[in-house]
Amino acid sequence: MKKTLIISYLFLVAFVGNLFANEVNIFSARHYDSDIQLYEKFTVKTGIKVNVVSGKSGALEKRIIEEGKDSKADLYITADAGRLGAFEANLQGGLTSSVIKDAVPSNFRTSKWTGIAKRARIVYFAPERVSGAELSGLTYEGLADPKWKGRLVIRASNNIYNQSLVASLIKNNGKGKVTDWSKGMVSNMARSPKGNDRAQILAVAAGEADIAVANTYYLALMLSGKKGPEQQAAAKKVKPFFPNQDGRGTHMNISGAGLVKGAPNKANAIKLVEFLLSEEAQNHIVNNTFEYPMIKGVSPHPLVVNMGLDFKQDLKTKVVNYGKRQADALEVMTAAGWK
Amino acid sequence: MTKYNIWFFSSVIIASFVALPIITVFLSFFSETSSYYSVLKNTFLYDYIFNSIIILFFVILITFFLGVISAYFLSFYEFPFSKFFSWALILAFAVPGYIYAFSIIAFFENYGTAFSILTFLFGENNYNLFIPKIDGIMGATLAISFSLFPYVYVLTRASFYYQSNNYIEVGKNLGLSSRETFFKIILPSARPAIVAGLALVSMECLSDFGTVSFFSINTLTTGIYNSWLSFDDLNTANQISFILLLFILFLFSIEIYSRKEARYHQPGRGFKPITKIKLIGKKALIPFIICSVILFISFLFPVSQMIYWAIKFPKYFHDLNIINLNLNTLYLVLLASIFIVLVSLFINYGDRVSKSRILNYLTNFSVSGYAIPGVILALAFITFFSNVSDILSENLNIKSSKGIFIGSIFGLILAYFIRFFSLSFNGIKSSYEKINNSIDESAYLLGYSKVRTFSKIHIPHLRTNIILVMLLISLEVIKELPMTLILRPFNFETFATQAYIYASQDLLEAAAIPSLFLIFWSSILILLSSRYILSTKN
Repeated sequence: MKKTLIISYLFLVAFVGNLFANEVNIFSARHYDSDIQLYEKFTVKTGIKVNVVSGKSGALEKRIIEEGKDSKADLYITADAGRLGAFEANLQGGLTSSVIKDAVPSNFRTSKWTGIAKRARIVYFAPERVSGAELSGLTYEGLADPKWKGRLVIRASNNIYNQSLVASLIKNNGKGKVTDWSKGMVSNMARSPKGNDRAQILAVAAGEADIAVANTYYLALMLSGKKGPEQQAAAKKVKPFFPNQDGRGTHMNISGAGLVKGAPNKANAIKLVEFLLSEEAQNHIVNNTFEYPMIKGVSPHPLVVNMGLDFKQDLKTKVVNYGKRQADALEVMTAAGWK
Repeated sequence: MTKYNIWFFSSVIIASFVALPIITVFLSFFSETSSYYSVLKNTFLYDYIFNSIIILFFVILITFFLGVISAYFLSFYEFPFSKFFSWALILAFAVPGYIYAFSIIAFFENYGTAFSILTFLFGENNYNLFIPKIDGIMGATLAISFSLFPYVYVLTRASFYYQSNNYIEVGKNLGLSSRETFFKIILPSARPAIVAGLALVSMECLSDFGTVSFFSINTLTTGIYNSWLSFDDLNTANQISFILLLFILFLFSIEIYSRKEARYHQPGRGFKPITKIKLIGKKALIPFIICSVILFISFLFPVSQMIYWAIKFPKYFHDLNIINLNLNTLYLVLLASIFIVLVSLFINYGDRVSKSRILNYLTNFSVSGYAIPGVILALAFITFFSNVSDILSENLNIKSSKGIFIGSIFGLILAYFIRFFSLSFNGIKSSYEKINNSIDESAYLLGYSKVRTFSKIHIPHLRTNIILVMLLISLEVIKELPMTLILRPFNFETFATQAYIYASQDLLEAAAIPSLFLIFWSSILILLSSRYILSTKN
C-alpha cells in the first residue's frame, strides 16, 4: 500500500510538473552561437525554457510537415522572407501583439511571421576598375546593361537570396521585363555561377570581375577578421554600393520567425519574439551577425555603420511578395539559363 | 523439402527488408508526380544523367590508372619505403569524397590556402588569377577518384599476388620479356579483379551524394534529394531513383560476373609468392616518386589542409561539442556493428544448418543492399514507413508510428543494416565455409547441442573474421553521409553530418575539426583491419 502511494505521488508530481513545464520549442535554421546566448538570457528573464532544434531550413521544414499534428514546434526561425512566405501553409496566424506591431514596420511582417533583423542585397565594386560615373544611379534593373558584360559575378539561381531579389523585381517590373533582364544578367556574368556570396565578393577583390551582388553582412564579416587575415585584406579592396537610391530604394530582406500551426506553446512563442525585438536582444543580434536591427534606436555594428547607413531602403515592396513570386522567379531564372 | 523453420522466416524477413527500397522505387515510378515543377523536372533530368555519367567515366579512368599502377609497383618491386606505401595507400579510404572536396575548395579558392602559401613564400601579389580554380565537375571527379581508388588498388594487388608467380614462369618459358609478360599475360589475367574493383568504384561513384552536392552539381543523387527536400515530391524523387537503380543494376551484374570469373583464376596448388625485384638508386626513383605523389594527394593533402584550418581558426575547437560528437559516433558504430554482425551470424548459421536452397536464394538476394545508393535507400525507407504508418493510423486508429522508424536511432540502424548486411554476411560466410561440415557432425555425435557447437567450435574459428567485419562496418558507418543526414534524430550529429552541415552553411573552416576526427578514427580502423587481413592470409 505504501509503495503504491509513493509511486502514485511521484507520478502526480511528474504529471503536474509537466503541466506547468514552461517552455517554447524553436526550429532554427540560423547557425549563430550568439542566438543560444540570447535564448539563455530569455530563460533567465522569464523562466521559460527554450528548446532549440537546429538544422538546415529544408530539413526543418520537411520535419515540421512530416510530424504534422504531432509536431512540437512553436516557432520556425530562418533567414529570408521568401522561405517564410513559401512555408505559410504550415504556419498559423496570431503572431501579433501590440509590441510586435510597434517594433516591426508592416512591410516586414505578416500575421503568421515577422522579421527580427534586416539585411540588404547590394552591389560590391572594385574602385580601381569601376568609375563613379558608371555607378551613378545604378539600379538592379540596370545590371543587365551590356556595359557590364563579362564584369558581373552573382551566385546560382537555386539560392533563396537571389530568388527573393528576382521576386521583388518581378513585383516591381512585371514578369516579361524580368525575363529579358535575366538573360542580360546571364550574358554579363564573368563566370558561370559558383560559390557563395562571399566567394562573389572575393572574386571582385581577386580581379575576376568588377562587380558582385551579395548581402551586406558578408563584407562586415570579412572585415572583422573572423574569416582570416587574407579575407580581411581582400574585403578592403571592394566597396559597397546601394542600388535604386533614386527610385524605390535598396532591396531589403529579413531574418524572421514564423508561428507554426498547432504550436503547443503559442503564448510563450509570442513572448520570445517580443524579447528578440527588445533593445537588449537587438543589440546582441546586430553585433554578432552584422545584420541591421529591426527596431529604431539601435545602432548596427561599427563595421556596418562604416558601409553607410543613410541609404534609402525599399520599404514599399512588402517582403511577403518574395514568397508569393518565388516560383515565378525560379522559372524566369532557369529559362534564361541562369545556372 | 523445405523446412519452414525459424531460419527460413528470419531470412524471408531480412530479404523483404532489403527488397523494400527497390519495390518502393519501382511502384512510385507509376505514381503521379507534382505537375507544378514538371517542366523544370524534364529539363533537369538530362542534366542529371549527363553529369552523373561524365563524372563516372572520368572516375573510372583515373582510378584505373592510380590503382593498377600503384598495385604494379608495389607487387613486383621492392624499393625504399615500398612496404610503407603498400599499406599507406589504403589510407585514402579514410578520407571520404566530400572531405576531399572541402580541402580542394579551401586550397584553391580566391584568397585560400594556396594564396596564403604563395604570399608567405614570395610576398604580396595577386596570385589569385594564376591559381587554378578546381571545382565543379573536375573537382568532384578528382575528389571521388582519390577517395575510391584503393578499391582497385587492393583487388588488383591481391590478384597480382596470388597468380603472378606462375604466369611469370610461363612467360619466361615462352621467352617473353618481362614487359611483354606483364602486358600480355599478367594484366589480362588480373582483369576480373580490376573489373570488380572498378565496378565497386562505379557503384560508389554513382551513389555519391556529399561530394557532388557540395560542388552544386546536378546529378541523379542530388536530383533525388532535392526533389524530396525542396519540391516535396517524393514521387519524382523515386522516379529519378528508378533510373539510377537501372544504372546500378547494370554495374552490379558486371561486378557479380567478374567475381565469378575471378574464382576460375584462383591459384592452384603450389602457389608461391612473387620474388620481388629490388630497385635501388636511380631505378627506384620513379616508383618512389609516383607512390609518394599518390599518397600525398590522396591522404596527406586533405589532412594537412584540415589541420591548417583547425589551427588557423581555433575558435571552432571550443565551440564544437567534440565529446558529444565522439560519443554519438561511437554509440552508432557499436550498435550498428553489433546488430549487423549478430544477425549475420544467425543467418549464416541457419544457412549452414538448414541446407535449404530457397534459403540460399533469399540470402543471396539480401546481400544486394550494398549496391543501393544511400539516398535512395533512405527515401524509400521514409516512403515505406510513412505509408505504413498512415495506413495503420487510418484503419487501426493506432497513433502515428512514424517516429519509431523515421528520425530514430533504431530506424537509422535498420537502414545501415540493409546497406551493410552484405559486407558482414559475406565476410563471415567466407570463413564459415572453411570450417568443414564433418566437424559439426563429429560434435553432434559427441553429444554437443547445436548451441554448444556454435559457441565452442564455430565462434573461436570465426573470431578473427568477426572482428575484421566489425572494423569494416564501423569504417563504413563513420564515413556514411546521406542516409545519416536524412534519417538521424534531431540534434544528433556524427562527424560526417556535422562537417557537411558546417560546409553547407558557409562555415567551411568549422568543418575542419569534425573532418579530422573522422579521418583519424577511420585511419585507425583501416590500420587495424589491414593487420587482421594480413593475419587471416597467414
